[in-house]
Amino acid sequence: MAIILLVILLFIVPQDFDSKGKEYFYLELPQVVKERYVKNLLEEDLDEHAEVVELEADNVHYEAMLFETEKSKIYLLESKKALEAITNSERVPTAYAHLNTEGQIIYTYFLQGYETQKLQNLLRVYHNRLAGHDVIEAYSDTIPVKRIYEDSAPLNDKENMIPVFLTFNGSLMSLFIIGAYIFLDKSEGIIKAYSVTASSVWHYLLSKIGVIILTSVITTLIITIPIMGTQPNYFMMLIFLITSGFFAASLGLLLTSFYQDIVEAFGAMYVVIIIMIMPNISYFTPSWDPDWIKIIPSYVMLQSFKDIISVGGNMTYVAVASMAFLMVGLGLFVLANYRFKKTLSL
Amino acid sequence: MIKVKNLYHSYNNDDVYAVNDISFEIEKGEIFGFLGPSGAGKSTTQNILVGLLQLQQGEVEVAGYDVKHIKDKMFNNIGMSFEQSNVYSKMSGLENLEFYRKLFDVETRDPKELIKLVGLEGNEHIKAGKYSKGMKHRLTFARSMINNPKMWFLDEPTTGLDPSIAAGIKNIIRQENQKGATVFLTTHNMYIADELCDRVAFVVDGKIRLIDSPKALKLKYGQKLVDVEYFNDGQVVKESFSTVDEAEKLRLVEVIKQHDIQTMHTKEATLEEIFIKVTGRGLV
Repeated sequence: MAIILLVILLFIVPQDFDSKGKEYFYLELPQVVKERYVKNLLEEDLDEHAEVVELEADNVHYEAMLFETEKSKIYLLESKKALEAITNSERVPTAYAHLNTEGQIIYTYFLQGYETQKLQNLLRVYHNRLAGHDVIEAYSDTIPVKRIYEDSAPLNDKENMIPVFLTFNGSLMSLFIIGAYIFLDKSEGIIKAYSVTASSVWHYLLSKIGVIILTSVITTLIITIPIMGTQPNYFMMLIFLITSGFFAASLGLLLTSFYQDIVEAFGAMYVVIIIMIMPNISYFTPSWDPDWIKIIPSYVMLQSFKDIISVGGNMTYVAVASMAFLMVGLGLFVLANYRFKKTLSL
Repeated sequence: MIKVKNLYHSYNNDDVYAVNDISFEIEKGEIFGFLGPSGAGKSTTQNILVGLLQLQQGEVEVAGYDVKHIKDKMFNNIGMSFEQSNVYSKMSGLENLEFYRKLFDVETRDPKELIKLVGLEGNEHIKAGKYSKGMKHRLTFARSMINNPKMWFLDEPTTGLDPSIAAGIKNIIRQENQKGATVFLTTHNMYIADELCDRVAFVVDGKIRLIDSPKALKLKYGQKLVDVEYFNDGQVVKESFSTVDEAEKLRLVEVIKQHDIQTMHTKEATLEEIFIKVTGRGLV
């Protein structure tokens, strides 16, 4: 599995994702005004050259001029019909600039319905003579922006995927695999044979956890070293893998102690999977970061792995998280041991 | 070695008992058998004695340990052979035994010696998952001896085995008993109970109906007669003679002297016949 993830990271995930937005315009304006618009767009274009491209909507092809700036791709369409067709097929907001009877330039935006009121208000304000684009830009340019962690360098998009892979492959898989180990032993009847020996239940449980943590460390290194080289703090990575893996495995043990087989346990495990996946939304969409998501263990794992692989990452956070996982893991292990003493052989 | 007093067990924690007020004792060095049909409560009783099921009601003492407060070291003196084979299918036979011996704190037997004893020599390096049912059962049986158990629990030790292998298993049980092992076995096979057990308990519907030695039971419930078939003037004659009446005993001696005997059988009862007579139920 680790090899597959590594291949995906090396050959499929690009260094940086293409996050440019697409904008569609039609200008029904006097030629002079239109030429001025096109000239402004060419100045912002990366190679100062517009491409003629063909767009398809409802099986009809429409020509357009493509201007690619740093932040977006702007398509200038040749007819209102084309604009309407693209609006319907691409399901994106589009803009139509034209003159009214008094010779004023009117901007008509065709929206899709999912746009927030804030965006609609912004569009109204954007073309306002007194609070228009230039005013907004001048104001926003003077807002100070301070980076909280000035020592850490941002990760590129490919490197940013690694914490996700490490969280699920390195830590959370422990939760599911230990369940599989236990249920397999139960189905083969091995546990009954083990129960009539002089070895303690906790020896048995800890041996399972040990195997999983070891596997987790190896697979993590397989994924991380080829991509990140010597940049990560491997010592802290090892500590965190052991403690978070111990926590996840102990949680898995406690969960499996309530069920007879993997089919019975699947419902509960599915709920846990869904809960553990949710912090990924926050990870990739930092603007969505409610307080309740921060108590989900995978949130802490994602942030910790990110700090571990980043230059100047917050090792204090990682150390505290490791300690917390260890303490909670120990508590869960004790509970699981108690449960298994009662139910292991059934 | 084992003391069981007023033992009850219900799987659903209600008034339906799988084990219903069972009491018995097993002396050191004895081979004691639970004989009864499927569902009688034999394995349930055994599982409670080894801690696989929680003791709900009653008093149980095994090898000096109160089963209510089981200590791990108690299992150093206990061996258990399960009816359903439960070995690691990904390990070879030898690896299974090597792994299992490490789970005890006492001196253990050489796995290779055990492999040879149960007739698995030559197959010890094959993964147990590829063994036949009989081979897996023999491996499970061998595993139960690895810690030289003083108290040996056998759950249906010869079920599913062919007669020659079953005979080998019986011999091993006798040998281990002669070395000092106390054996508690459960079976629904009357021949096993008859051949091996010093005492046998008839178990039906969670209750013990009687406990006695097979010999005493047969003497008590059997008919003291001998059936003889012999040739007389070219024809086969069948006659029964009492083994207690003096006149009939003399007559029997005369028949044996004067005629060619074709068959001669005593009319002692089998355990199964006694079981049916006492409990009203068959062993199957």
